[in-house]
Amino acid sequence: MTAARLSEVPRAGAAAQAAAPARAPIEIAGVSQVFRRVGQVTHALDRVDLNVAGSEFIAIVGPSGCGKSTLLKIIAGLIQRSSGSVRIAGQEVQGPYTNLGIVFQSPVLLDWRNVLDNVLVQLELRGIDPRGYQARALELLGKVGLSEFKDRMPRELSGGMRQRAAIVRALIHDPPLLMMDEPFGALDALTREQMRIDLEKLWLDRRQTALFITHGISEAVALADRVVVMTPRPGRIDRIIPIDLPRPRHKDVLASRRFTEYCDQITECFMRHGVIRY
Amino acid sequence: MSADIPLQPVTPPTLGAAFAGWLRKRAGVLIVFALLFLLWEYAVWIFGVKEYLLPPPSKVWVEFMKRSNTVMQGAIVTTQEIVGGYLLAVLVSIPLALAVARSRFIEESVYPVVVFLQIIPKIAIAPLFIIWLGFGFTPKLLIVFLLCFFPIVVSSVAGFKSVDPEVMDFAHTTGASGWRMFVKIRLPQALPEIFTGLKVGAALSATAAVVAEFVAADRGLGYLLQQYNGQLETPMVFAIIVLLSLIGLAVYYLVELVERLVIPWHVSQRPAGVTGI
Ligand SMILES: Nc1ncnc2c1ncn2[C@@H]1O[C@H](COP(=O)(O)OP(=O)(O)OP(=O)(O)O)[C@@H](O)[C@H]1O
Ligand SMILES: [Mg+2]
Repeated sequence: MTAARLSEVPRAGAAAQAAAPARAPIEIAGVSQVFRRVGQVTHALDRVDLNVAGSEFIAIVGPSGCGKSTLLKIIAGLIQRSSGSVRIAGQEVQGPYTNLGIVFQSPVLLDWRNVLDNVLVQLELRGIDPRGYQARALELLGKVGLSEFKDRMPRELSGGMRQRAAIVRALIHDPPLLMMDEPFGALDALTREQMRIDLEKLWLDRRQTALFITHGISEAVALADRVVVMTPRPGRIDRIIPIDLPRPRHKDVLASRRFTEYCDQITECFMRHGVIRY
Repeated sequence: MSADIPLQPVTPPTLGAAFAGWLRKRAGVLIVFALLFLLWEYAVWIFGVKEYLLPPPSKVWVEFMKRSNTVMQGAIVTTQEIVGGYLLAVLVSIPLALAVARSRFIEESVYPVVVFLQIIPKIAIAPLFIIWLGFGFTPKLLIVFLLCFFPIVVSSVAGFKSVDPEVMDFAHTTGASGWRMFVKIRLPQALPEIFTGLKVGAALSATAAVVAEFVAADRGLGYLLQQYNGQLETPMVFAIIVLLSLIGLAVYYLVELVERLVIPWHVSQRPAGVTGI
């Protein structure tokens, strides 16, 4: 792959990141991404512009393969973008951005650590003594229903449980920015519903800036302050729909007409691009 | 990904419990071995096979007991060669593998040379070692080292290089680098493959020591084996073969034991090893 991973690139000064304000606004301007391989060029993203306010919850929906994961990794500085600029808390992202919590599309747990230690590794890797975070870790694991499984190894968990552990790992250090790539993708519908409710609660606690990728239209509307709808590849931003619904979004909110209208607006975007056909 | 798989909890067993469990699990194999020995004993007796062709186990035992002092001294020498050469191989190959995995330059300059040297039949260079280093302990140590070295390097390089890119992505978001990254991510995820190499090396080590002693030696089991063979003392040849196998097995078993203690999370998710611990 020609798109160099930024692991080799020197990281932005840790001091600069530490001085960042507690809530991290994001400015994305003209970000495009082209993956080149021998005899094959993939235009994954095409001139994406997006401004995210601090404490804002953004949901990104789009058809499979449109570049959502790529966009997220570019914002996190894990993929070197082909062009454009990404600034978090006023700082240009060059190399992995570390002042965040991230949940990938797959759980990415460490096989050799049990659930609790998989959560605490977040701190160990940051050079923070994990002992002070034990209680918080147990509290968060409790919130996602993993209390009894804190001593289990990842392979002893179901896919959904692993993903929940990964979510706790992204929250444990209380980051000002939370990025989640289809975190509920592996969950059954019931757990998914519950996790969505829990995530909103956790978010209302701290109001991190949040980027949430999903395939679920209603999930996006239920969680987000604004929903970003993307086109099929090369991914562009088709529409940004502000969701003006009261929080917490309990079931009566989700049953309201306005909720359905928002969902319809998104569906229409997809129909226009032939992503959904009747 | 996979759904719920019921699995035993991953707790390192205590030694006593481990042994009891081993005995229970391995009772079948032990019985089969006992039966084979019985069959051998009586077949030799019934068919009147000549002793210098195939001595019965009882005869092997009796002869062995008569000269157990000599043999055990040889066993100590050979064991020292095995253990010394093996440990040297471990000490050299794992850091080398790490260097190969971490440095493009070393991978492209040093590693091909290592691979090329590996192609030279090591048994063929054994006589050279004797010329250079004489009859003593050192040439044997080096031959054991050479034979064990390569499998350990190759699988350790594979282990250090096969980092899951997603795990690395996660690790990069924490800003971890250098030593912390090595201790918490790279090393633990390389360990299963490193142990694969360590076990292949362990399995080769006894053979290597005997071959080295065949070439030139004045002590050790390989030397004794040749002596007894020359004098057609077949029972002693058998005794030494059995002893050598036991030593080889013990080395392998030890490595598996260490593996079980170091990476229980990995060991418990695959079938029991060859020695069944
Ligand atoms: N490292 C890479 N090298 C080459 N092409 C890549 C790479 N990563 C992604 N792509 C391509 O970029 C496009 C967007 O991929 P991406 O993973 O961002 O999609 P996505 O929107 O997250 O899809 P999904 O919803 O299925 O997860 C795809 O066509 C993919 O093949
Ligand atoms: Mg994706």
